[in-house]
Amino acid sequence: MVLKIFFPQCCNTADSGLLVGHWIPGHNSAVVLAVIHYPFIPGQVKKYLSELQSQTQVDLTVLGSWSMPKEGKEGMDSFLKDLSTIFPQKCWLQLSREIGKRGFICQGDKIILIHYDQRKVMLSQLHPVQDVSQKSDIEPSELRLVFQTVAQSQPLFFLDKYDDGPLKLTHWQSEGREASIIAELLKQASVPVCIFLTWLLSLWHWFLLFISSKLSTCVQSGYRAVHFKTVFSPKKAATHMEFMRKANIFVSFLLDIALGLLLISWLYRENRISKLADTLVPVADRVAKELQELLEWLMGAPAGLKMNRALDQVLGRFFLYHIHLWSSYIHLMSPFIERILWYVGLSACLGLTFALSVLSDIVALLTFHIYCFYVYGARLYCLKIYGLSSLWRLFRGKKWNVLRQRVDSCSYDLDQLFIGTLLFTILLFLLPTTALYYLVFTLLRLVVVLFQGVIHLSVDFINSFHLFAIGLRICRPYRLAEGVKFKVLCQEPGTPLHLMMEINPLKCSSVLQCYRTPTYSCYPKDSWAALCKKLFVGELIYPWKQKTDKTD
Amino acid sequence: MGADSGPGAPAAVPWRKVLYERQPFPDNYVDRRFLEELRRNIRVRQYRYWAVVRETGLIAQQVSCVAVFHTLWSCMEQGDLVPSTVLWVCLGCALLGYGLYEILGGACVRERTRLADLQSATIFLAFTFGFSPVLKTLTESVSTDTVYAMSAMMLLAHLVSFPYAQPSPPGSLSLNAALFASVCLASRLPGALHTFTMLSCALLVFALWPCLLHRMREKAEWSFPWAAVLVCLAGVGGLGSLWPEGALLLSLALLTLTLLCPLLLVHLQRHKDNIHGPWDEAEIREDLSRFLN
Repeated sequence: MVLKIFFPQCCNTADSGLLVGHWIPGHNSAVVLAVIHYPFIPGQVKKYLSELQSQTQVDLTVLGSWSMPKEGKEGMDSFLKDLSTIFPQKCWLQLSREIGKRGFICQGDKIILIHYDQRKVMLSQLHPVQDVSQKSDIEPSELRLVFQTVAQSQPLFFLDKYDDGPLKLTHWQSEGREASIIAELLKQASVPVCIFLTWLLSLWHWFLLFISSKLSTCVQSGYRAVHFKTVFSPKKAATHMEFMRKANIFVSFLLDIALGLLLISWLYRENRISKLADTLVPVADRVAKELQELLEWLMGAPAGLKMNRALDQVLGRFFLYHIHLWSSYIHLMSPFIERILWYVGLSACLGLTFALSVLSDIVALLTFHIYCFYVYGARLYCLKIYGLSSLWRLFRGKKWNVLRQRVDSCSYDLDQLFIGTLLFTILLFLLPTTALYYLVFTLLRLVVVLFQGVIHLSVDFINSFHLFAIGLRICRPYRLAEGVKFKVLCQEPGTPLHLMMEINPLKCSSVLQCYRTPTYSCYPKDSWAALCKKLFVGELIYPWKQKTDKTD
Repeated sequence: MGADSGPGAPAAVPWRKVLYERQPFPDNYVDRRFLEELRRNIRVRQYRYWAVVRETGLIAQQVSCVAVFHTLWSCMEQGDLVPSTVLWVCLGCALLGYGLYEILGGACVRERTRLADLQSATIFLAFTFGFSPVLKTLTESVSTDTVYAMSAMMLLAHLVSFPYAQPSPPGSLSLNAALFASVCLASRLPGALHTFTMLSCALLVFALWPCLLHRMREKAEWSFPWAAVLVCLAGVGGLGSLWPEGALLLSLALLTLTLLCPLLLVHLQRHKDNIHGPWDEAEIREDLSRFLN
C-alpha cells in the first residue's frame, strides 16, 4: 500500500526533529502539522501533545523523524532510530533530505509526498459545506479530513520562535505571529461593547414589535435589529456559515449606508427637498380630485350600466364625504410638510433600504383613503355574497349542515320563508351596484399595491445580496474551496513522488446559490388561483404580507 | 327453462330456495315452482272517473289562483283599484279565513298558540311595510320584458313544484318562487303602498289559501268542489275583464285539465303491466348459434 504524506511547504527547510501530525483514520495517509526540533525532552513532548489534543480535539501524535543535514552536524541517524522506541507507533516515518537534491529520502514503505500551503489550507473551507456537529451518514472524504485536521489544529500554530517554552516548533507561523496593537485593542474592547449594544438592540426590538408591523420602515428596522444581534453577539462564530453571515451583514450594512449617504448628498443639494415638498400637496389634491370625478361618474350611469339609484346615491355620498375629510386634512398639514420631509430625508443616512421603506410608507399614507374605500367596498360585497349564497339555499329549501359540512334539506317555517325570500330578492337586485363599486376600488388598490411591491422587491434584493461572499471569491479565491488540484513537483527515480496541492476556488454561481441570505421574503403568499378566488368572494387581500424571518 | 329436468337430481333431498346452504343441485337450478311467485299489477288501482275529476280540481284551482293574482296586479297597475281598498278587503278576507280555519279545526289540538300567530302576522306586516320603499326601486333599472319573463318563469316553477299531495305546509321552492315573482311584479307598481298591498295579496293567495283549502278538504269534504269551482270562475272572470281571448284560453285549459286528463288516465290504466315478485334464475335451452353468424 502506498502511504500518502501531506507535508507543509514551510517545513521543507526546517532543522531536524520530530514530525508531529495526525494519522487520517480509514485512509492510508497522514498529515504533518509541525516539526519539533532537537533538543527536547520526550516527556515534555508527550505532555504538550496531550494538552493540545484536549484543546483541539485532534488526535495529535508523533509521526516520525525528520532529518535535514547541515554542515558540521552529522551522526543523527542512530539517534533517530532510537526515537522510534520512545514514541511507540504502528508506523514510523523517517524522512530526510540531502544537500543538493530536491527530493526527500524515505526509509520504509513506498510513500507519496503531497506538499501543501499550511496557511491557505488552514483558512480554506471545502465545498459543499458539511456541518461538523451534524451527524451525517456520508463518510467524510480523505481530502475533507485533511482540511478539517489542519483547520482544527490552529492552537498548535500559536507557539513561535520567540516563545520561551521548552519546545521549539516549525510551522507556518513559527517566524512570528502577525498582529497589530489596534486589532488587539479592538478585540479586547469588543466584548463589553458588544454586550451593551446587544442589550440596547433587544430593547429596541421589543419596542418595535409593539408598534404596528404595517409600516415597512418598522419592519425593515426590526429586520436590521435582528441582524445586528447576530453580528454583535459576543460569542465568536463557531461554524463557517455563521462567520460568513456575520461578515456579510456587516459589509452589506456598510454598503447600504454608503448608498444612503450618496442619496442624501444628492437630495439636499440645490434645495431639492423644498421642491419636493412643494409638489407633494398639489399631487395629493390632484389625486383627491380625480377620485371625486370618478365617484361622480359612478353615481351617474357609468358605462351605460343601470344602477339602483338610491343605493348608488348613498354609497357615492358616503365616499365623497371621506374624500372631503381627507383633503381638508392634507391642507391642514401643508405648512409642516417641508420640515417633516427634511427630517425624514435625513433618515436615509441609516441606509438606502431605509429610504426606500420610508418612500413606501409615504405612498401608503398618501393613498390611505383608497385603502379605506377598498376595505368598505370589499366588506359590503363579501357580506352580500355570503348572504346571497345562504338565502339561495333557503330558496331551494335546503340548509348548510355545519356538522357534516354539506347541504341538507330543511323544512322552514312560513315566516322564515317569507322574510328569506324578500331579502334574497333585495340582495340579488342590489348586487350589480355593489359589485361595480367593489371592482373600481379593488383596481385602484391593486395599482397602489403593485407600486409598493416594486419598492419591496428592490429592498429585498439589497438585503439578500451576499456581497461579502462575492468579494471573498474575487479577492481571496482560496477561502472558498471546491476541491484541489495536484501538480507534480519532482519525480526522480529512487525518491518518492512529490506533488504540490493547490486549492480550486468555488464557481461564482455556486457562491450565490450557497450563500443566499433568507430574507423576510415578500413574494406573494397566494398563488394566482387563490388570489382570484379571494377577489371574487370579496376577502381582503394583502399580497405582499411579509413573513417574519425565523430561520437560520 | 330449468324447471323440471334437472341433471340427475337425486330425489332424496328436496331442493330449497336458499343460497346459504350447499345443495347437491347446481347453482341455477329451480324446480317446478319456477316463476310461481310472479305477480302482475298488484298495486294498480282502479280509478273511477269522477273521483279523479274531483282530485284534479286542486290543480285547476291553483292555476286559477295564479290568474286571480295576475288580475289583481293588472288592475292595480292600470289604476282601476285603489290600494287602500284592496288592503282593507285583504284584511277582511284574512280575518274571515282565519275564523273559518278555527271553526273547522275545532276538535284538533293546536300546534301553534294564538299569540304565535299574532306574532307572525306582525312580523309580516312590519317587514313588508318597512321594506316596500326599497322593494319598489329594485327593478327600476331592469327592462320591462325581463321583468315579465322572470315573473312568468317563476310562476311556472311555482305551479310545477307545488306539493299537490300535501299542500298544508307550503313547499319551500313553490312559495319562494311565487313570492319572488310577486316582488318582481310589485316593484313595477306606481307607489310604495301599491307594493305593500300587492305583497299582502300574494301572501294571502299563495301562502294562506292552500292551508285553508286543505283544512276544508279534511273536515268538510263536500265544500271542496264548490270552493274549487268558485276559484276557477273567479280566475276566468277576472282574466276575461282584461283580455277575453285569454279567458277563453284559460277556460279551455281548465276544462282539458279537469275533464280530459282524467279520462286519459283511466283509459290508459289497462295498458299497465307491472310485474312484482322475487327473482328466479333462468337457464337458456335454445340453440343460439344462429345469432353467431
